[in-house]
Amino acid sequence: MKARRRVVTQGKGGPGSRGAANAPAPKIRRTPTVRAFRSAILEPRPASGTRIAVPVVAPVRPSVDPTRSSAVDLSLDLGRGLVLRNPILVASGTFGYGVEYADVVDVERIGAICCKGTTLRPRQGNRPPRVTETPAGMLNSIGLQNPGVDAVLDRYAAQWAGWRVPVIVNVAGESIEDYVGVVRKLDLVPGIAGIELNISCPNVGRGGLQFAIDQEAAAAVTRAVRRATELPLIVKLSPNVADIRPIAAAIAEAGADALSAINTLSGMALRADRTGPFLGNTYGGLSGPAIKPVALRIVYEVAQVVGIPIIAIGGVTGLDDVLDFLAAGAVAVQVGTAIFADPTLPVRLVDELAAACARRGLVRYDALVGTALPRRPGAASAKGVEYRP
Amino acid sequence: MQLVDAELQESRQILPGQWLQQYHAPTLASAARAGQFVHVRTGDWSGLVLRRPFTINTADPATGAISLHFREVGRGTAWMTNLRPGERVDMLGPLGQGFQVDSRSRHLLLVAGGLGIADLRLLIDEALRDGRQVVLLYGCRDTSEVYPSSLLPDELEYVVATDDGSVGHHGFVTDLVIEYEAWADQAFACGPVPMLRTLAGLVAGRKDRLGVATLGRKRGGGRPIAPGSTAARKKAFLQVAMEQHMGCAVGACLGCVVWGVDGPQRVCREGPVFAFDEIDWDATAADGTHVR
Repeated sequence: MKARRRVVTQGKGGPGSRGAANAPAPKIRRTPTVRAFRSAILEPRPASGTRIAVPVVAPVRPSVDPTRSSAVDLSLDLGRGLVLRNPILVASGTFGYGVEYADVVDVERIGAICCKGTTLRPRQGNRPPRVTETPAGMLNSIGLQNPGVDAVLDRYAAQWAGWRVPVIVNVAGESIEDYVGVVRKLDLVPGIAGIELNISCPNVGRGGLQFAIDQEAAAAVTRAVRRATELPLIVKLSPNVADIRPIAAAIAEAGADALSAINTLSGMALRADRTGPFLGNTYGGLSGPAIKPVALRIVYEVAQVVGIPIIAIGGVTGLDDVLDFLAAGAVAVQVGTAIFADPTLPVRLVDELAAACARRGLVRYDALVGTALPRRPGAASAKGVEYRP
Repeated sequence: MQLVDAELQESRQILPGQWLQQYHAPTLASAARAGQFVHVRTGDWSGLVLRRPFTINTADPATGAISLHFREVGRGTAWMTNLRPGERVDMLGPLGQGFQVDSRSRHLLLVAGGLGIADLRLLIDEALRDGRQVVLLYGCRDTSEVYPSSLLPDELEYVVATDDGSVGHHGFVTDLVIEYEAWADQAFACGPVPMLRTLAGLVAGRKDRLGVATLGRKRGGGRPIAPGSTAARKKAFLQVAMEQHMGCAVGACLGCVVWGVDGPQRVCREGPVFAFDEIDWDATAADGTHVR
């Protein structure tokens, strides 16, 4: 196995320096390392002696027959027992409740399914039209249409409980009470493997975006939900902020088990005759390959300030995108918009990732994680995008 | 619903900017019902992230051929017109709920506005095969857009209306409906929202004008039928095929809704065919669904 690279992203003497005893409470968790979130990936630990990924014959360099990609271990642990068999997830809103694509996709081969955003009460969503294609992407303004948490549990929970693939329920709300209310109903229900907290939907008036752009509010809702449930808790970050890092750090500090990044970027399109906005809701969320560079930047930034696993979302259309996000510090990726064109893509990516690991002689994929992160603290690239003050 | 690799057999421009393409896709040809659609993956997917929905225009289980009729409106359809016979296209289908013809209906009135004919074309074949009589009322802007009668079966009665009066009736196609509404047992329509809305208004007043009993209802009897169900649509005098910009086409993304009386309805799943009384016509017209 490759030697691990230790990465320290914040040196001593910075704003959160550990020497300053009378400094205000540190907002940003201190000196997390690539190692810290690599540990999210299950590894054969010699001490426990219970988990051995592959029988290692040669004691020095375990090598994998490139043709036997099935020998590659893609499993990972997102915390609190949320163990995925592979790091390819499907993004909320693009895969419904997992049943819609069942005719053409073997859903149980996916790492995990994030279901459509679920609210306490039924929501009808926004006026149509709700989707339109844009250069290398699409805009959507669904507006969190869903039948409410009770109906979702009624219709799907039993089915989910029978699946081998974990289902992560995406939870949305307008207030902390909403989020906590939904989460309380999900807690201890068989078939619910985890929660993805959607504090970043750009398409509803009071739809939680206010939580994603303010670090105190983000931390408060995370803390409240954390208190309400023992379920694994993933918080989905919004790209519609100036600097994501303090927000991500505050959410991690507040008890999230993992972060997913990014939600859609706010955008709009006009009618063909330019008499007004095209979407019924005026604004929509941009997704697809167009936003991949933004997602990559945010994953790269967040990976340097938090120690919890990061799930990358944004424009994944092939293996290269998966490898990019892993290299930027994510331990898993979600496939979203690409599913609409190619429903079988997530399952294919699982195979392709395994094959890519096998080609590199890896028995586990974790050596691919974080390879592009800066190696020493204070490197220019660790400072965030340049135009910021 | 299946993912199918369909081979293009024939492609031709039948009207200015409108294309008719025939694909070899045996599973689709045998499974397709009138009103259902396929979701076609276009090339150059780095730039075009969505599939394109097309109603199955004709389907021949014997030869395994289906045809699609579409207007070249953007890069996706432009890519399709550049395909050569022998090239393969990834299609997902058949999708959606098709037209529901009551087994007792002998006389079918079909109303098409422009490209709406593509949604009704397969219904003509199915109805004639089943021994029904079919009248097609077709409305378009002028002579250049009149659907060629050579592409329609001889048994069909084909009536044209043009906005400028250059062919057939001078005016809207909906003006002709009154003449046939007593004759028809059921009506099926596809076209621009204003046309469908006018039709829905006409149909709502039909019972009073004609004094006809609602098809199939027994006097004072029968269980109540859930609106939106297949049985309810079968009994509706008018069924309409709706269009909307679409994402996944399998009901997952909730992108392609039209506004129904009971809230948003997915065109890809509950539709594309609805009974006329399921749609909230005031809201739908206000949405400006057909601006593109």
